[in-house]
Amino acid sequence: MEKNNEVLLKVDHLCQYFRMGRKDMKAVDDVSFEIKKGEAFGLVGESGCGKTTTGRSIIKLYDITSGNIYFKGHRIGAGTRSYKDAIKRAKADYAAKKISEVDYKAIVAQNQALIRDAKADQKSVDKQHAATLAAALNKEYEEKMAVAANDPQLLKALTGEYKSKLRVARKSKLSTQIQMIFQDPIASLDPRMTVRDIIAEGMVINGITDKEYINQKVYEILETVGLVREHADRYPHEFSGGQRQRIGIARAVVMQPEMIIADEPISALDVSIQAQVINLLNDLRERLGLTILFIAHDLSVVKYFSDRIGVMYFGKMVELADSDELFKNPMHPYTKSLLSAIPLPDPVYEKQRTRVTYNPLAEHDYSVDTPTFREIAPGHFVYCNNAEEEKYKQLLK
Amino acid sequence: MNKEVKLSVNNLKISFRTDAGKVQAVRDISFDLYKGETLAIVGESGSGKSVTSKAIMGISAVNSIHEGGEILYDGQDLVRIPEEEMHKLRGDKIAMIFQDPLSSLNPIMRIGKQITEAMLLKNKANRKEGRETFNKMLAQLSSMTMEALSAGASCEIPANRVAEYIKTFDNFNIQAIKMENSYNAARTAAEEMIAIIEDFLFLTEKNQKVDAVSALKLIERKLGDMNDQYFATGYEKVLEEHKAELASVKRIEKAKVTVADSIKRVVMMSAIKKDASDETAKILKGISKTASEMLARTKYDFFRIGYYVYKKPETDLSRMPAEEANELAYNFLTEDFMRSFMAMEKTAVEYSFAKALRNKENAIAVLQETIDFFKKGSFSEKEAEDACKKAITAVRAAIDCLAVIKDNVAYTFGGALEREVEKYFFYLKNNPKEEERFAKQTAKREALLAKGKNVDWEVIPKSVIEPEVQIEAIVSVITRVMNKFKADVEAAANFDVDKRCLEIIDYLKEKASQVVYTLTKRIAKEKAIKLMDEVGIPEARLRFRQYPFEFSGGMRQRIVIAIALSANPDILICDEPTTALDVTIQAQILELINKLKAERNLSIIFITHDLGVVANMADRIAVMYAGKIVEYGTANEVFYNPQHPYTWALLSSMPDLDTNEKLDAIPGTPPNMIYPPVGDAFAERNKYALEIDFEMQPPMYEVSPTHYAATWLLHPNAPKVEIPKIITERIKRMEERGGNYGEE
Repeated sequence: MEKNNEVLLKVDHLCQYFRMGRKDMKAVDDVSFEIKKGEAFGLVGESGCGKTTTGRSIIKLYDITSGNIYFKGHRIGAGTRSYKDAIKRAKADYAAKKISEVDYKAIVAQNQALIRDAKADQKSVDKQHAATLAAALNKEYEEKMAVAANDPQLLKALTGEYKSKLRVARKSKLSTQIQMIFQDPIASLDPRMTVRDIIAEGMVINGITDKEYINQKVYEILETVGLVREHADRYPHEFSGGQRQRIGIARAVVMQPEMIIADEPISALDVSIQAQVINLLNDLRERLGLTILFIAHDLSVVKYFSDRIGVMYFGKMVELADSDELFKNPMHPYTKSLLSAIPLPDPVYEKQRTRVTYNPLAEHDYSVDTPTFREIAPGHFVYCNNAEEEKYKQLLK
Repeated sequence: MNKEVKLSVNNLKISFRTDAGKVQAVRDISFDLYKGETLAIVGESGSGKSVTSKAIMGISAVNSIHEGGEILYDGQDLVRIPEEEMHKLRGDKIAMIFQDPLSSLNPIMRIGKQITEAMLLKNKANRKEGRETFNKMLAQLSSMTMEALSAGASCEIPANRVAEYIKTFDNFNIQAIKMENSYNAARTAAEEMIAIIEDFLFLTEKNQKVDAVSALKLIERKLGDMNDQYFATGYEKVLEEHKAELASVKRIEKAKVTVADSIKRVVMMSAIKKDASDETAKILKGISKTASEMLARTKYDFFRIGYYVYKKPETDLSRMPAEEANELAYNFLTEDFMRSFMAMEKTAVEYSFAKALRNKENAIAVLQETIDFFKKGSFSEKEAEDACKKAITAVRAAIDCLAVIKDNVAYTFGGALEREVEKYFFYLKNNPKEEERFAKQTAKREALLAKGKNVDWEVIPKSVIEPEVQIEAIVSVITRVMNKFKADVEAAANFDVDKRCLEIIDYLKEKASQVVYTLTKRIAKEKAIKLMDEVGIPEARLRFRQYPFEFSGGMRQRIVIAIALSANPDILICDEPTTALDVTIQAQILELINKLKAERNLSIIFITHDLGVVANMADRIAVMYAGKIVEYGTANEVFYNPQHPYTWALLSSMPDLDTNEKLDAIPGTPPNMIYPPVGDAFAERNKYALEIDFEMQPPMYEVSPTHYAATWLLHPNAPKVEIPKIITERIKRMEERGGNYGEE
């Protein structure tokens, strides 16, 4: 795969908290990473560490608490908690007479502006996207219509085409360019819809009414994912697990997304089928130039599939590097423990494998020096404090 | 192989009745499970792994049909014993860990109750069963001795005194049981008291609600219960002191309780939050310490002391320290009784063994005759029945009833033979009918097709059995027991009479103590907490009272393992125990299972589809596909020298850390088992399939004495086929590294 430095998705200090009684449950806490165009980015970690939540926050299934998500340079998600907190802190400081009134007012005004911005951006991003699409369409058809001005029949046809396309353009959203493949192929397909309906649903919602066009698209996509067009009229329960997952993939790919979030797409599948689905995803990636965020807990698969890998632990990203680099030089003790737990089909190795356990309290002393997520070598990020950074850099040499 | 076979599955066939037809889930599989080993069964879903394990547990689905074969365990055929018998084994001797921990736990029952439930129920059943088996064994011993003596064996005990000796043995055992019961009751009281104190201190430390007064009352009662003379010996004074202390503390605590509190307690039934004073805690700790000391002392050997007391009822050995008393009783027992008893037992054992041996030799001849009879072919039902009866009587006579480890094959021979013969005649009667039906249906279908109609049904294949095939099945049942007998006869020279005698005494003692051992709820709780600690659940005492939903996935699976282990099983069946868990937890659970296996010498059947996990766990591996075992060998053989194309496909379809090339996915899906393929089931998805693979099922070829594979590729005439590159390369890499990963 050619090197491409265009950043497709940028996740910037993403926090996703859930209310649990009076306390917040920090599912994702201050996670930042970038995904470049055409790349497969793997996200690993044990269950409950926030991998899935990260994926769902990106696709806006949750309202994020704070941080920003940029897709193709547009801010598609923004949280306001951090700004609100800043205002609260300033208020407390002001009450305790730590800062002057001028400063206090400035801070409040600044943060309020940020909050307004965030809200406005989130609201307008789809409108803007629709407007750009509509503008492009206008331009295209103005020219065409100018050419066809003398031919009333052609003009009528063109107008009809223009109108339907404009409707689609106006309804289209930037976020449909990110699609998701879910873990459980049984639970994620509506049992009362035929495969055709399932795959076409996205298009229908987006305002496409042309039945012919939809059918054509459905058949095309079914063949792309390795099913046949006869399958279109069947119901999900008539398919095996692997085929169901293919339907899930078809549903995601039919919207011509730029990016796919694959949330454990193979963990619910049988061994022999897993390889089929991985190969399919790889094919699609090459053929359609997809960018994939691959969330999984099976490290051998993630290693095989991804170009870069991020390791998460309790809502934090603890290490991020190229996949070869990560497996060659794991730095963070959690990554090491994770790597030591991978079972391999090699009995001799397995019998002598020793697992490294990770105990955050014993490993780190963060009482004085608080850790941040920093780059210790080009492209290799680790969550550490100053002392640890030194140590890791030494180790890399 | 000289390892003890714990469980053996022979020619098991299981199908399911469905609307669409009969699904053949397991088609003729056989394997042995040795003591203390892990056998992994690998295959994709629908290959019949879980069906096999469920058949072993006796929890097959209602629509399942058992079509043939047997599962032998402890002299019983598990597929044929009644449900009441299975109750005694399931969970107790054979336990199972299921794939999904949440669905195997009761959501509205506290964890603690779920762990202790089985223990408490089993304990009750065990006591009853212990008494029965004890009596049975003793009766057998007595009758054998009588027989030996009447046959002219020499023994220092005259025949007329044998009954007396047996009676004495039984009586002094009852005496011993009485004493041990009383001693155990005191011990239990002590253990319970410690548990109560622990609970109490735990709660006060955590500042939780406690009802100090009633807790103290309870402790006082338990302290009173610890009054068995053997248990309390030497500690009488200390116990008195403790009682006095406790009484004073209770007065203090009682004084703290206000009228409002007591109303609250009576009316609202709620415990009162009271900080127990430091004084109370200190005293309780002291009491707990004393009790622990008492518990830690050497136990009296009541089996022997029982005899002493039985003979000299006026004596009291409790004044003596345990060691001395044990010594004295031991000497007395050996001199006065055991020596002659052992001699008697030896006579019986020798006689019984010799008799069994003679009968075995005799049985071999009879069995050979029976085989010839059946092989001849033409026989009437009556003749066959007589031949069976003769063979069965011969085999039954050849069973050594004093053997502690039961002979699976001989015990189940009768049933198996009768069944096979019955089947033969059933098919003989049924075959013509079936042929007729098949011909009629085929004709109908063809007529419809000829009319140009669209026929959407298939002709149900005829289920006839060729008489020759069935006769072979009959012969194989007989041959199996014959081979076993032959092996026994050959091994007869190595027979160790003394060892067998000791075994019997141990067996009797074990059964007797099983009768005595009572488990109360409180002790079960302590045991459960210990077990939870053992499987790695932190703060077990707190979590004991939680519900399943309060646990994470890994913790839940640990609970399920704890429940499976609570009855101390022989065989543990793990049905994909880690599939629902992620890597780190998976590694922990696997380590835990491995540790427990080593500690308890468990035999494990491990079912999974993850080859990485298999490499970690398995001693031997059976690869299953479409209801058949296609490859069978030790872990190293299967991973480093795989022979079957399906094993190759499984190995090459999963990436490891060095894989970069495109994966070799197995095309297609497993075959529909309503119409299983005629030839090799894997042929359709197999790149290396030969023509014969579509026509005939391959037999098991021997690669090495422990390694078998069912593929035509191993036939001497088969073309040489290269193993896929991805596997050969991986094996080469693995061999080069010799297990070293991660190091540069």
